[in-house]
Amino acid sequence: MLKRHFREFSVLGVLLCVLALMGVFAPDFFAPQPLLSRLTAAAPKLVVACGIAVVMVGRQIDISVGSLFAVCSVVCGLVAAAKLPLPLAVASAVAAGAIGGALNGALVAGLRLPSIVVTLATMVTLREGLRLAQQGVFIDLPDGLQWIGLPMIGGQYLVCGIAITVLVAMAAVMRHLAIGRAVHAVGSDAEAARLAGIRPRLVTFGVFVLTGALTGLAAVMNVVQSPQVDPNTGRMLELEAIAAAVVGGVAVSGGRGNLGGVLVGFLLLACITPALTYIGVKPYWDKAIQGTVILLAVVADGLRNRKNGR
Amino acid sequence: MSCLLQLTSVTKSFGAVRALKGVSFDLRAGEVHALLGENGAGKSTLIKVITGAHQPDEGAIEVRGERIPSLTPGEAHRLGIACIYQQPALFPDLTVAENIGIRLEDLGLFGRVRWGMRRKTAKELLRRIGADIYPDAEVRSLSMPEQQLVEIACALGAGARIVVMDEPTASLTREEQQRLFSVVLGLRADGVGIIYISHRLEEIFALADRVTVLRDGESVGTRGIRRSDASDPDRSGPTLTENELIQLMVGREVASIYPPPGTQPGATVLSVRRLGCSSSGVRDVTLEVRTGEIVGLAGLIGAGRTELARVLFGLTPADSGEIELGGSLITIGSPREAVARGIAYVPEDRRRHGVILEMPIADNMTMAVHERIFPGTWLRPVAERSLAERQIRELGVKASGPDAPGGSLSGGNQQKVSLARWLATKPRLLILDEPTQGVDVGAKSEIHKIIRRLADEGMAVLLISSDLPEVLGMSDRIAVMRGGTIAAIFPGGSDARTVMAAALGQAVGAGAPAEEESPC
Amino acid sequence: MLLRHETVLLAVLVVELVFFGVAGRNFGTADNIANIVRHSVEIGLLALVMMPVVLAGGIDLSVGSTLGLCAVLFGKLWRDGGLPWEVAAVATLGIGAAAGGTNALLITALRLPPLIVTLGTYSLFRGLAEAITRGTDAFTRFPPSFLFLGTGRVAGIPAQAWIFALVAAAMWLLVHRTTFGRSWRAIGFAPEGARYAGLPVGRRLAFAHVLAGIVAALAAITYTARFGTAKADAGTGYELAAITAVVLGGTSIFGGVGSVHGTLLGVAAIAVLGNGLSRVPATMSNAGELSGLLTGMLLVLALAGGAVPKWFAERRPR
Repeated sequence: MLKRHFREFSVLGVLLCVLALMGVFAPDFFAPQPLLSRLTAAAPKLVVACGIAVVMVGRQIDISVGSLFAVCSVVCGLVAAAKLPLPLAVASAVAAGAIGGALNGALVAGLRLPSIVVTLATMVTLREGLRLAQQGVFIDLPDGLQWIGLPMIGGQYLVCGIAITVLVAMAAVMRHLAIGRAVHAVGSDAEAARLAGIRPRLVTFGVFVLTGALTGLAAVMNVVQSPQVDPNTGRMLELEAIAAAVVGGVAVSGGRGNLGGVLVGFLLLACITPALTYIGVKPYWDKAIQGTVILLAVVADGLRNRKNGR
Repeated sequence: MSCLLQLTSVTKSFGAVRALKGVSFDLRAGEVHALLGENGAGKSTLIKVITGAHQPDEGAIEVRGERIPSLTPGEAHRLGIACIYQQPALFPDLTVAENIGIRLEDLGLFGRVRWGMRRKTAKELLRRIGADIYPDAEVRSLSMPEQQLVEIACALGAGARIVVMDEPTASLTREEQQRLFSVVLGLRADGVGIIYISHRLEEIFALADRVTVLRDGESVGTRGIRRSDASDPDRSGPTLTENELIQLMVGREVASIYPPPGTQPGATVLSVRRLGCSSSGVRDVTLEVRTGEIVGLAGLIGAGRTELARVLFGLTPADSGEIELGGSLITIGSPREAVARGIAYVPEDRRRHGVILEMPIADNMTMAVHERIFPGTWLRPVAERSLAERQIRELGVKASGPDAPGGSLSGGNQQKVSLARWLATKPRLLILDEPTQGVDVGAKSEIHKIIRRLADEGMAVLLISSDLPEVLGMSDRIAVMRGGTIAAIFPGGSDARTVMAAALGQAVGAGAPAEEESPC
Repeated sequence: MLLRHETVLLAVLVVELVFFGVAGRNFGTADNIANIVRHSVEIGLLALVMMPVVLAGGIDLSVGSTLGLCAVLFGKLWRDGGLPWEVAAVATLGIGAAAGGTNALLITALRLPPLIVTLGTYSLFRGLAEAITRGTDAFTRFPPSFLFLGTGRVAGIPAQAWIFALVAAAMWLLVHRTTFGRSWRAIGFAPEGARYAGLPVGRRLAFAHVLAGIVAALAAITYTARFGTAKADAGTGYELAAITAVVLGGTSIFGGVGSVHGTLLGVAAIAVLGNGLSRVPATMSNAGELSGLLTGMLLVLALAGGAVPKWFAERRPR
């Protein structure tokens, strides 16, 4: 267990060290309300990171999730603003995400195009299409939508609860259902998967659809946190999600990685910035530190693989 | 005896290369049917047709009397066809138990994986074939023979009725081989049909009921075999001896196809002493190659021959021992250094390493001599073209011209391009790794002539080949490798049985009961 | 195939030119053409050096961030370091080389996937730029002799166009007429095959990345000269525009296939589209979004255009 998940446990160790240091030097960090607010604000990213992790286990990548997130947010906002019932708003956002994912999946699995360029193209197309359609106008949401009509704390618990549920459900699917193992198999060796009777292209397609749908759900989780929808939302989201997965030990080369690791990587990245702020590092170092953490994680993998004789 | 599998007039082409030209083949329940043929005769293509990995262009496939219009891997799996590949098709990132489970269980998409059961099944199957492998180990951490045993466990667990074994013993130890034989005979007794591919005739005579020989994509014939253990009342058709079998495979007298040895070898070019490379398993190799000499490197697959070549070419640099080239001690840290010292390596996998298929022949031929023919890094198309045209002429490459992409050529002509690239470097030492694998008979003898001519011109040649007659026919001396080191060195023209015995690790003269003199 | 791609692209470019020449206001004027050139130089420079990286089977997502970091450091060296701008510019090229060298080191020495390495440096370099400027600082009031690079004309042609033409010519020679180009192509087709042929694979890949860094620094200088200000967000999103131009220009994302002239056509097609849309009354107000949208769709089409015939070929009845 420890040996097989060495990578995940070492990141967990770093996370615990950071948290322990915070406990000693800045116990305010653990004050319940700001902590809950921070977690709630980050929860949608965790849901997207789950999707990205699954895509990466299947040896693909999706950098269009940020743009798709914005599209889904606007779809959700427009449906809600049209005074249609809430479940319909949620469903339409998830459906929009799934359709966007299906587009990526069709191009990648159907035409065997490399996912990095396909999702690059859809990233640009969706973002610009949205800018054209929405002209940067914010959408005012009806009163009942923020925190789904719950008091703020209740809404925050609900959003965090959904994120945890998605994580646990995805972890269970990836670990215990045949389809989850098929994703691992395809990511590990698509040809061997084909010989074992798995249909790799179907799996790849499904993985993109799933990621799209999760992005749609994440968009809803984000929309309900504020009274307006910002059509420029979701920039850099793909990077943060990929970073969480990479730091959490999901291999870029496919086949390896688990959602426990993604959670740990996500938490580490989420608390490193506030942690550094507490010890006096200015927030404008944020992105440089994120980049450094990603590079450290890949370099660690590279050195480990080299030691194990690749 | 019922017919499990029937192939009728199967053809399959890859581009211009016709790999199978109307092959018919049948397999009965409870028999071991050996499939024989030289490298490139079409065996692997035939196997891939049977396992559904390739769709035949023409011809019919029947399984248990039922016509299968389109055999896919999934369909083959369902019909109980299993294949143990030489290079196991396993998932390196998954555990042994999962590798077995994923192929045995039919969970659909949303079925639940029962890990405990997977582990138990895997443990049981591995125990049945006597493999000492931990079910929770990741496959990437296993050795090649261990991975093969996992494959066999899969087939066993799938209750496969048709099992294809592609050189299953190539990398196994003696003990593992014996265990495998008993597994094979056990399957046979259960009524499983086994297609058994091996280059080792003793194995075929120990195991097989019938043998089909392929040559250049065609079936030369199917014969019964008088198995060495017992007589079998079910046997039909004429039986044959080892010599007749070899005749069928080669199609002509073995000895006559090799060019005669040349001049007396001269000064020592390469001398390695106690050479080792721990990461690739090469250890304690001591060997000399002289000008004008062809030293054959024989041994089983996995004996460390390609690994030794990779060490000498700087792909996996040595970490112990000495290399002396032309009288001075050197180190070889990268292929570039090797090239600069006058060492050339024509690799085994020519499609991946030897020729860049998408690039023109001319580009391929000059790739190792950029510095020399393009001084100052500027390309000189005229010089390049004339060099390529000269090489095409001298080596008899059949191509539309220097601009034809490497991938448009047949295997033998690709090999000549790969060879031309290295001849352009004017090497002192030429290492050839399986130079005639997958090459048709005509091109093969041309390549043999070229190799002999190069040696006569003073080059030192190290020839790696799994084709024992080729090693015996071409070499002035034969070094046999086993377990990463040189097990024995024989003079040219040595007896095949002696060389094979050394490769297998038997004391010379012991082992299988003495039979009449045979070349393999 | 290669030829056909570039011919199609040339036709697209001609159609664009004719269409905007007819439908656009003041599209064909000398001033507007100079304008198109000025606006596309930075992305063009990045595309020119992205091309060899992609040709060799890699990718570099960090070039836009390198541009931002170099712009900021150039401003810092000039204003806070008190260096003459010429010296600062040369030092900036060195910084660009170091940024490219970082990518090169991680990719070749540690054999890490370029996608993830440059994703990391994408964050890191942009983050360093933000940290140096504390997120808000901007460097302005550059001397006129420097601003001339971005706004002046030499022999009637925008000053930076000369720089671009020089780099384009050098890259064309490098890719099509030297062993570097030959090696990148070989590595792109078959990295292992290139290694077995004794090519210095690591050094060639490293060179492509260092070159990308240096030219990104050069783009930072023309960018700063054009806007007269150096901020941390300089060149945001340019890596995507550059990759789009390269892929649109016929360079295979799998490596091995591609040409510098194709890349130039790709850059031109995108630049003309963006400018032309802003000259047509109907699209004037949304030119930015529309050109982005159309570029994204063009990219999908360019990719699919290569793949769809293959898809049908696979399904042809036997």
